[in-house]
Amino acid sequence: MTTSRTIIARETAPSSPSDLKIIYQATIDILPLALATVPWGVLCGSLAINVGLSPLQAQLMSLLVFAGAAQLAALTIMGAVGSLTSMFSSTFVISSRHLLYSAVFREHVRKSSLGLRCCIAFFLTDEMFAVTCAYMRKHKVFSPVYAISSGVVFYLIWNISTFTGIVAGQHIPNIEHLGLEFAIAATFIAIVFPEIKSRSILFSVISSGLSAIVLSIFMKDYALIIATFIGMLCGYLTNDKECTDE
Amino acid sequence: MNDFWIALVGMTCITFSCRYFFFSKTVPFELGTKIKRLLSYTAPSILTAMWVPIVFLGHQSTNNDFITSPFLIAGLITVVLSLRIKSTLAVVGLGISTFGLLKLMF
Repeated sequence: MTTSRTIIARETAPSSPSDLKIIYQATIDILPLALATVPWGVLCGSLAINVGLSPLQAQLMSLLVFAGAAQLAALTIMGAVGSLTSMFSSTFVISSRHLLYSAVFREHVRKSSLGLRCCIAFFLTDEMFAVTCAYMRKHKVFSPVYAISSGVVFYLIWNISTFTGIVAGQHIPNIEHLGLEFAIAATFIAIVFPEIKSRSILFSVISSGLSAIVLSIFMKDYALIIATFIGMLCGYLTNDKECTDE
Repeated sequence: MNDFWIALVGMTCITFSCRYFFFSKTVPFELGTKIKRLLSYTAPSILTAMWVPIVFLGHQSTNNDFITSPFLIAGLITVVLSLRIKSTLAVVGLGISTFGLLKLMF
């Protein structure tokens, strides 16, 4: 019954909107999230100057690496004169969540050209993934145009804010103690809570949050990835139960 | 830092590889329905694992107590706002402003 209804809904859905409309929609959707990472980008830029990078090097990090959390961690390690090995392993641990994102998009982009796949991969961030998934749920279709244009908007704002940080970092002392990282917490809260629409998602959020606190205290390096897996597993197991209950 | 360029190239390769890995045609791997369902919890779990430590452990980086920490208070206020207000921009804007105000007060 439910399946036939979904099929009808899909068939009667209006034909796909034009690319221009999709680009506009993507920009509107990602903009609040992109603006919210401005403080984080500023932090990244100014911290890079503080640990002794040249303005060009600082900007190149955002242009090429384009990963806020990994960049901040690497800069902290550089500041503490840590080894390349520790820098690379922390980059990998923090970026490993993107493996999961690419696994989610896999079935939708696998048949695309190499260029398109590289392009989507390069612009794949937490925020781009979140809005593209929301778009996918709403329109029942993966849109490469949507994914890339939201990614590009995010990329531009991230780099402009890094640039601002590079300039500001040379003039504002102790910018890293202003608590700019709160901006990222606020953004993620604003993304997560409206998406809690079922008991299983609620359980995955609660379990991931609780384990993140405990793990951050005892084994900081792997806290993010282990807590994520615990959250996913709890959501998965709850969902099973919900199905059998019904 | 002399090793900067190595670090930059290395990090670029690592972050890109993680994002590209499953897009590769040479990775022989089919996603079953169970895995797909497991993956559907990726976003809420990861994002929560990132914001929770900032909100609940943020006081460690400042001189505030846990209960008066701007990270905690503003974080909880943002949670309430996110449940009440539809506009993401408004939620984030109000959340950050609250944090800023608290930071000035304490």
